[in-house]
Amino acid sequence: MAAFKYESQVRAPLVEGTKDYHQVTEDIIRPIEGPPSRLWWIGFIISVLLLLFGVYSVYREVTYGVGQWNLNKTIGWGWDITNFVWWVGIGHAGTLISAILLLFRQGWRTGVNRAAEAMTIFAVMCAGQFPIWHMGRVWMAFFVLPYPNTRGPLWVNFNSPLLWDVFAISTYFTVSLLFWYSGLIPDLATVRDRARVKWRKYMYGILSFGWTGSTKHWQRHESLSLVLAGLSTPLVLSVHTVVSFDFATSIVPGWHTTIFPPYFVAGAIFSGFAMVQTLLLVTRKVLHLEEYITIEHIEVMNKVIVLTGSIVGIAYLTELFMAWYGQNKYENWAFMENRLNLFSPYGWSYYLMMGCNVLSPQIFWFRKMRRNIFITFFMSILVNIGMWFERFVIIVTSVYRDYLPSSWSTYYSPSIYEVGFYLGTFGLFFTCFFLFAKFFPVIAVAEIKHILKKSGENYKPAAEKVEQQSPDTLYEEVTHHH
Amino acid sequence: MAKKKYWQSFVELNDTEGHQKLAQNEFQELLPTGDAESTNLGDTAASRRDFLKYVGFSTAAAMAAASCETPVRKAIPYLNKPQDLVPGVADFYATTYVNGGEAIPIIAKVRDGRPIKLEGNTLSTFSKGGTNARLHASVLDLYDTARTRTPKLIRNGKETPLTLDTADKEIGAALASSGPVVLLTSTINSPTTKQIIGEFLAKYPGGRHVQFDAASYSGLLLASEAAYGRRAIPSYSFDKAEVIVSLGADFLGTWVNPIEFSKHYAVGRRFDESNPDKLSKHYQFESMLSLTGANADERFTHRPSETGAVAAALLSAVQGQSVSGVDGANLSKGIKAAADKLNEKKGRGLVVSGSNNTQVQLIVAAINEAIGANGTTINWAAPLQTHQGIDSEMETLVADMASGRVGSLIIYGVNPSYEYHNAAAFDKAIKSVKVSISLNDRADETTALCQYAVPTHHFLESWGDAEPKAGYISLLQPTINPLFQTRQFQDSLLKWSGNPTPYEQYFRNIYISKLGGLENFNKALQDGVIEPATAPTGGAAFNGAAVAAAVGAVAGLKKTSKTEVVIYQKVSLGDGKLANNPWLQELPDPITKATWDNYAIVSPQFAKAELKIDLANARSADQYEVQMIKPVLKLNINNKTLELPIIIVPGTQENTIAIAVGYGRKNVGRAANGVGQNAYSLLSYNGATVDWSSSTVSVSGSDAKYKVGQTQTHSSYEGRHEVIKEITIDEFKKNKFVVVQQRESEIGNFGGIENYEKEGSLYPVYDRPGIKWGMSIDLGTCIGCGSCSVACTVENNVPVVGKNEVIRFHDMHWMRIDRYFSGNPHDSDGVQTIFQPMLCQHCDNAPCENVCPVAATNHSSEGINQMAYNRCIGTRYCANNCPFKVRRFNWSDYTGADSFKDNQLTSGVGALNEAVFQMNDDLTRMVLNPDVTVRSRGVMEKCTFCIQRTQEGKLKAKKENRVLADEDVKTACQQACPTDAIVFGNANNPQSEISQVRKNNSLRNFYSLEQIHVLPNVNYLTKVRNTNVLAAHEDEAAREGAEHGSPAKAEH
Repeated sequence: MAAFKYESQVRAPLVEGTKDYHQVTEDIIRPIEGPPSRLWWIGFIISVLLLLFGVYSVYREVTYGVGQWNLNKTIGWGWDITNFVWWVGIGHAGTLISAILLLFRQGWRTGVNRAAEAMTIFAVMCAGQFPIWHMGRVWMAFFVLPYPNTRGPLWVNFNSPLLWDVFAISTYFTVSLLFWYSGLIPDLATVRDRARVKWRKYMYGILSFGWTGSTKHWQRHESLSLVLAGLSTPLVLSVHTVVSFDFATSIVPGWHTTIFPPYFVAGAIFSGFAMVQTLLLVTRKVLHLEEYITIEHIEVMNKVIVLTGSIVGIAYLTELFMAWYGQNKYENWAFMENRLNLFSPYGWSYYLMMGCNVLSPQIFWFRKMRRNIFITFFMSILVNIGMWFERFVIIVTSVYRDYLPSSWSTYYSPSIYEVGFYLGTFGLFFTCFFLFAKFFPVIAVAEIKHILKKSGENYKPAAEKVEQQSPDTLYEEVTHHH
Repeated sequence: MAKKKYWQSFVELNDTEGHQKLAQNEFQELLPTGDAESTNLGDTAASRRDFLKYVGFSTAAAMAAASCETPVRKAIPYLNKPQDLVPGVADFYATTYVNGGEAIPIIAKVRDGRPIKLEGNTLSTFSKGGTNARLHASVLDLYDTARTRTPKLIRNGKETPLTLDTADKEIGAALASSGPVVLLTSTINSPTTKQIIGEFLAKYPGGRHVQFDAASYSGLLLASEAAYGRRAIPSYSFDKAEVIVSLGADFLGTWVNPIEFSKHYAVGRRFDESNPDKLSKHYQFESMLSLTGANADERFTHRPSETGAVAAALLSAVQGQSVSGVDGANLSKGIKAAADKLNEKKGRGLVVSGSNNTQVQLIVAAINEAIGANGTTINWAAPLQTHQGIDSEMETLVADMASGRVGSLIIYGVNPSYEYHNAAAFDKAIKSVKVSISLNDRADETTALCQYAVPTHHFLESWGDAEPKAGYISLLQPTINPLFQTRQFQDSLLKWSGNPTPYEQYFRNIYISKLGGLENFNKALQDGVIEPATAPTGGAAFNGAAVAAAVGAVAGLKKTSKTEVVIYQKVSLGDGKLANNPWLQELPDPITKATWDNYAIVSPQFAKAELKIDLANARSADQYEVQMIKPVLKLNINNKTLELPIIIVPGTQENTIAIAVGYGRKNVGRAANGVGQNAYSLLSYNGATVDWSSSTVSVSGSDAKYKVGQTQTHSSYEGRHEVIKEITIDEFKKNKFVVVQQRESEIGNFGGIENYEKEGSLYPVYDRPGIKWGMSIDLGTCIGCGSCSVACTVENNVPVVGKNEVIRFHDMHWMRIDRYFSGNPHDSDGVQTIFQPMLCQHCDNAPCENVCPVAATNHSSEGINQMAYNRCIGTRYCANNCPFKVRRFNWSDYTGADSFKDNQLTSGVGALNEAVFQMNDDLTRMVLNPDVTVRSRGVMEKCTFCIQRTQEGKLKAKKENRVLADEDVKTACQQACPTDAIVFGNANNPQSEISQVRKNNSLRNFYSLEQIHVLPNVNYLTKVRNTNVLAAHEDEAAREGAEHGSPAKAEH
């Protein structure tokens, strides 16, 4: 029996080039040790500026009221909740990659999981801003927390999907953060051990929680990873399911749809992978990590995109079919008039969504397209635009013309501060991401090393040799080694 | 055990002598007082004492300065409580709402010395407790920040405050030497005031009293004089009229005495399931869609210049001759049908006309004579005295002023500089008057041109009487001490005519002697009204001599120009006297649903031909309706130009543009300044009366655009009969279960009407013992006037948001009137209108309640959907999930009640209008109802079923140890409704009015959006149209056809 026969003969290697353990450490840790590049500074400063504009926008909204946004008596949620759902969706890929793919023993995940998890955490941080700041009286936001209080018998309303959101998002954020950080510990210890500067040694020493690399540490680390992966896996499905309940449990035609939970989860993975693509394509270029984040990775993720995109597409068509088949006058109107009718005020947004999410990803049926970096980058942007519009279509085109025609809304477009808040979350996201890329290993060093000998080109002859040997010869060799 | 010793130091342990000495001396060193002062601190410029002095002084000064700036709001209890006043308990005083000649008996609710709400006085037999939007809003005018606060001397635009004594002295001297004194007032129907005016004019011989009505009824008065020998307006009994034909008279909105008419009109419009034929039939012939026209069963449009021709044709038709002289087969057919109906119900019909043309009114008088209305539906025994102004008298006065024949001009209650058709001439003429005195309540356009301003009281500060109808007297008594140094008009006249008696005494003396004693007077004051024991009725001798000439004269009025203009009064603002009232400005017009502006109403035909906006095309209609920004037209009318934005109203005659007066005020207050444009200048004088229409019109487009704030932009209910139901009387007669069957088809699969509550849900159903509040709204009698909307605003401290925010669709009304059109928009005669008052439906299975994460909105055991404002965190999920969209969010700090300081913006996104700041003024805030929380920014609010009233009513019943009665609780909207369309009460009590109404109207009863199982506590009664055509059905047929054919749908 071949002891090392993990490598598929039909799959390309996960790490390219001739790498040894030291080289891997060098490649990934060295950017942390040097001064940041010019490009990094430019990106970082732009991000911080965006963040500041976002902070100002939120300041306006908190001080002068939600009237700083262009929502109205009919459209109670607009860009705020659209952005919330969009960011939460993006925050799905990371945990999916780290948890579900870990459980499924997908070796390729090691190249991308660290960045994807970081992205998840930052995206959930961004997402969390919206339900908080969209409140009319945000200073009373703590009312949503169920804790014994001095306000008499007042308790939260467990019937409300918004309350479920509070639990779902906070749980997801906590578990994702733990998962991400526990994976970071061995790598942080590596940075600490290589440090030649006192502050770095000190800081990373604290951050690595006294990791020594002992077998006991490794054993606990692996167990923790598995436990957290097990915890995260249902969360990947539950978070967006709960988010979809915000709409599905309501009575608004266009929201009140039982298909929402699976459709939202598929959409979330879809947009999450697109965002991972966007980020990694840039990161691998800037940090010269092409050999770790290979075309193979990109192709695999494109496959996920075409799969989830198609699921989403089927969901769209199912919705349309049910709107017609259900013969509910109001639901029918929401779909046929508010969305499908291109010449209705928001008809354009529906077609934009359809084009970006359903039609365009179909090009990934072609291998050439899947492996083309520029197409992939372009598509990843397109998918995220499409997914933003999906949420916009669901939220706005449903409520703006619902039951009572007397209350049908005028045309809603965002105010400068509504856009500013959204841009601000981009600022927050990229500020965090730039800091992450500068101070943390963007690729899981320890995990890459784990697959290196199974996949690296220069270990192939050795591995082959081992595989061809009979167990007896192998035993012979090992026992007579000294 | 040996005695243990604890020690702190060796010195203590050893206990030396030195230590003992030290231990006894607490202060071992002298405190550094005088010594330190001279040595250590002596070098510094300020000594320690000085330092303390400075600290003390500066702290005190800072505190004093700070206390000057920080507003401290104190609630101080009475040290000596007035005997009749219990803080927190309202007092009610009978008095009278007076606006020009309009006088309606009211009850003023006074809380802690402040009148805060007006209700109709149900003891009045003619108004029967009726009210309208203007009446409800008028309480705010008492607290208007723009009121003139002291008498003033005005010279060269500069105002110098005067004391009343100085003003009296100066004015007395000036009047004595000026020459002829002319009193220019609005219509005065107060008997005591007329007497005072008589005495005043006797003191200044050569003078005269001129009454001027901005919205004049000269034509009607003169025609009555010619036909009946009396220059008056008869009483119209709409309650006795089974056939009502209105020729452009908006008698439900603005014509003569709309409150009385609405009350009476409803009598015939209330559908009786057991006797459907009792329903009155209402024909309307008009050029624009008025509120009254919107309620008509049959409606026909004609050019404004054709008004006379239509009247003449109707006359010949009722006389059995053929219809001629009018354009269009449909119009002729309508006139014929109306005439036939009038002849069929002889003596039970009534024809009224809104025209100010004497000839037209003469013809209408002849029609009424021909159909036997004189003495039946037209009552000359108690004529209306609300409008007495004759246009020609004003013309003469202006001419006299210009030529110097007027020595002194005393102005009261009128504003010719604004509302006279030739204001420029008046402005010039007043300069030739030696002494001009304005007694108006504010520095309006006319007052600014006068030399003296001696402001009068608000009617809520006044004593007095009014006789809106001969023999029907309504008394005024003050409900608050005068807020400012103002004086009643009557007092000023008494003073200036040298009579030392105060008006209060004068008035009392007259009525005490008239009523025979103080006791009777007090009783009358308490009741508020003095009325004849039996209502006098009777006709007047008709003289038709001038009718033939009139018919000849009106034939020449008809024009054929491409566009004609009709000038009208808006239901909200009327003639514009109340323009600075933010509540009225923000009340959406019943037809256009627009606020804060006047505009040019155009027909869909005009819009399609001239502006390329096609309401019959869904795409074009959408583009028009989803943007508040509207095209602007350049209009040249009677050689005066103005630019106005357009609003397209289906049902407008295709050659007609309609423009409202009441806007374009200057310097009358923060709310009214700069709102809209003045249309009075478009009126013209035809030699006898003022014309309210013109055919000298040219229209051109312009590149300009203008935002008009509408609260509703989509006008069709899209065949959603679950939302609103209407049927024709024929349908009902054919199958009286038509509505019941429709409901069964909607909810039949879920238990049907009987078991729907239980069968429509997976959840268990609980019984609801005790009180269960319910409301019923009759769509058949609701006329859409908006009275309920303003009453709700007043009662519940609903904030004013101003035009900027209305444009952003942020209006806050808890009670709104949804208005829907049906029919082909390009068929002016075929368009039908329906109104649906929409408020929180207090659903028993409320979708808003279960989505609130903090349970800020929940259900009471009495069926009320409650809001806990201080629990609300403002997620707005409830508003999204409300199918009726009745929840209103405080987007900005509209009330100034927010804990964040200085957060009301005046520029940029979310900038608030001046009107909001006017409403937040300390003076204006006196109108707030102390029983209702003022909501702060960031919380959701909505109708509470006037929970403060239900609580009060329950307590009252409990204290008296009896079962709650219908009279104990009336919601503000219910009380305000002039047609009694709203009924409210305990639905668990089978004897209550609400239970009875639901039972007796079970064939018309329905719940809006019943099929979604939200279980509303508000039910509606189906509108039954007394016609055989239902435009909504035609729409539906067209829609069905379109779905199978082309994708374009009838939508407007």
